[in-house]
Amino acid sequence: MQPLTQPFIPSSVKIRVSNLSFSYNGREILRDTSLEFPEHAITAIVGPSGSGKSTFLMTLNRLWEELPQCTMGGRVEILLNGIQQNIYAPDCGVEALRRRVGMVFQMPNPLPMSIFKNVAFPLQLAGEKDKNVIRRRVEETLQDVGLWDDVKDRLAGSALSLSGGQQQRMCMARAMILRPEILLLDEPASALDQKAAEAIEQLLVRWKQNCTILIVSHYLDQVKRIADSVVELQGGQLRNRQVATPRV
Amino acid sequence: MKGASVGRFVERAIITFSWLAGAILLTVICAVTGYLCFKGLKTMSPALIFGSTDPMSALLLRQRVFDGLFPAMAGTLLLVLMSVGWAIPIGTAAGIYLAEYAGGGTKKIFNLLFDLLAGLPSIVIGLFGFSLTLFLNRHVSKELHPCLLLSSIALAFLILPYIIRTTQIALENLPVQNRLTGLAMGATRLQNLFHVLLPQALAGMVSGVLLAIGRCAEDTAVIMLTGVVASAGVPRSILSHYEALPFYIFYISSQYADQQELATGYGAAILLLFICLFLFAVAFVIKKNLPCQVFSQR
Amino acid sequence: MTAGSERVVERLFFAAAFVSAFVTVFIFGFLVYYGLPLFSGGRFIEILSSPWAPHQGSFGIYPMIVGTLAISMLAMVFAFPLSMGCAILISVVSRGRLSKVIRKVVEAMTGIPTVVYGFVGIFLLIPLVRNVFDAGSGMCVLSASLMLAVLVSPTMILFFCDSFDRVPRSYGHAVLALGGTRIQQFLHVTLPCSWPGIVVAVTLALGRAVGDTLIALMIAGNAVQVPGSVFDSARTLTSHIALVFAADNESLEFKAIFACGVSLYLFTTILVLIIRLAVHERGKCGQVR
Repeated sequence: MQPLTQPFIPSSVKIRVSNLSFSYNGREILRDTSLEFPEHAITAIVGPSGSGKSTFLMTLNRLWEELPQCTMGGRVEILLNGIQQNIYAPDCGVEALRRRVGMVFQMPNPLPMSIFKNVAFPLQLAGEKDKNVIRRRVEETLQDVGLWDDVKDRLAGSALSLSGGQQQRMCMARAMILRPEILLLDEPASALDQKAAEAIEQLLVRWKQNCTILIVSHYLDQVKRIADSVVELQGGQLRNRQVATPRV
Repeated sequence: MKGASVGRFVERAIITFSWLAGAILLTVICAVTGYLCFKGLKTMSPALIFGSTDPMSALLLRQRVFDGLFPAMAGTLLLVLMSVGWAIPIGTAAGIYLAEYAGGGTKKIFNLLFDLLAGLPSIVIGLFGFSLTLFLNRHVSKELHPCLLLSSIALAFLILPYIIRTTQIALENLPVQNRLTGLAMGATRLQNLFHVLLPQALAGMVSGVLLAIGRCAEDTAVIMLTGVVASAGVPRSILSHYEALPFYIFYISSQYADQQELATGYGAAILLLFICLFLFAVAFVIKKNLPCQVFSQR
Repeated sequence: MTAGSERVVERLFFAAAFVSAFVTVFIFGFLVYYGLPLFSGGRFIEILSSPWAPHQGSFGIYPMIVGTLAISMLAMVFAFPLSMGCAILISVVSRGRLSKVIRKVVEAMTGIPTVVYGFVGIFLLIPLVRNVFDAGSGMCVLSASLMLAVLVSPTMILFFCDSFDRVPRSYGHAVLALGGTRIQQFLHVTLPCSWPGIVVAVTLALGRAVGDTLIALMIAGNAVQVPGSVFDSARTLTSHIALVFAADNESLEFKAIFACGVSLYLFTTILVLIIRLAVHERGKCGQVR
């Protein structure tokens, strides 16, 4: 394995967060903070537990709007299809946004359907009707996450029968099947064993060619292995942090 | 030490009392079901339902059954189907609105009103059904009298709160994580509802419907005021009078002419008891097992 | 699915909820409208407190109100200790399998049709009451309330058990760790913490007892009188509606059944409000203690 021999070259800005404030249940999580996130890079978000890292991710796909008692202030702009867009503008469709900004959660969250349906589900939601296209894309994506050989004979079986690591990879396939421009991951490997976690890390490193990745992580060694830049969230502020040890 | 022995005595008394209460309850329930079975099981035969009529021609409505329960059973069946037919779409939709869309103040008012509707005695719903009939008769059509249609509408109001509540609770009890999964993929609220939430809430909703069916089948007070009669045969149309199993039991208990008729009453009571307990058991099993079964086959 | 049709479906959901909620108010309106001549000019209070003597032009429902209260209160007197005892048996005293079996039986009992209770009441309970107490026909307040107690007990038991189970386990473990018995745990921790649930259960059961038609109609005897003892026959508001309905239409006598309906409606409203308050209290209980 040859991890990351090429140096990290800062490219254009993918996500720009300006004057972001956020509170949940009356508790202030973000306080008037601004930061930019580069394109085609893996940015790790670290910070003390309970500092609101997961919540911060949800401000980027507007998922917090589905939770009760949240308020937000400030601007989030994302470069989508080459155009910089304010994602909270009234003319920005929230569903379209979430199709361009994928998300993977901490606990694998397969829906109670078959493996095939799980992975094909976002396509179906997006209105894809062509059975052949769906089949092809599901196969491609499952191959991409290295799950195809394990599951090709039981695509119709329940997704709940997969192991934890397999479930999480399936969820990643599900998040990637629409080929999003940004992938948000909330401690995707924290519920998995070492081997499964490494498989996921390799995937992320490969995916950053065509995707901007933000990952919340508790594990500093994991951060060191894969992150191009590190952002710390503490006391309601987002700050760029030097990557502790230079990578070889 | 004296305190301890008093405490010990109270403890003994409570334990004895609770066993006694349990024994009384079980005795009563055994007495009720046992008595019914003792008196009624021997009447269990096709003759109980079809009387002296040939079952086939009764089922095909070629011949009217005079001395069996067939018309009452047919009436109850139609009544249940129609009321549930009204109540399921409205109740499910209202439950979905309450769980997924209603905000603070609106939700409070609706909740209060549905609690009230659920608490209203069924005879009050029946009285409402009857006054609705009077109203329609005066202002819409002189042809409208108490009938199967109006009974089913009144009964639908009786079971509406059950269906609303079970739908609402089934949806609200789903973990937040499940709710976010679909939305994070870009599902609209409605897509998320139909593809993710409702399939998972289905078991709870179905068991609610089954309990509502049981409620429809056993209710006597509503239909007494809205069109049930002691003898009508199988209903010819939804605008005609009809017979129903629970009303038949009520009627026989005071108006029986001979032991033969009374025996039919016992038979009807057992039949209704079994129907209701069966629905109850099915609802219970579904609530426990359905989620895994439905989804493993998808 | 376009945003437009999304809106339409959302509106349909709202419409369904609105119609169902509106019906609740509508029912009250209809009852008042049809009973109108009896309600105008403060006559409602008069009706509630005067006797029923249609031939003398008096359509008061006082006897029925007393009958309802007598039968349902007596039923509660029987049902409360019985239910409390059974709930303690299920939640505290018995363990494992037996407790589960009893609970299943109680759950199944909630599915037994009212009319079946009434039917068995006529042919089993009434002869029993007649012979044991030598009480005339046996159709009396006592018989009806005994049968009603059987009807409402399962609901009460399940609600009691539910509110016992809601008390956090850690509270109880604290008592057990100090060397207390399970009964002491129940008396000193579980019971004080679950009183709002007990209020809810009793109120719901009272609502069922007052609202039930068939049992009183079939076995209370239905005499229009203020019962003087538990062996007297009595008529409830609910059975009055059923009986007068069967008898006559359009007269003032008939209008009186709407007064019964309105009284039952108002009574239900009060009970629902009590339950709301108790549930609200329960929400607080968990945090304070």
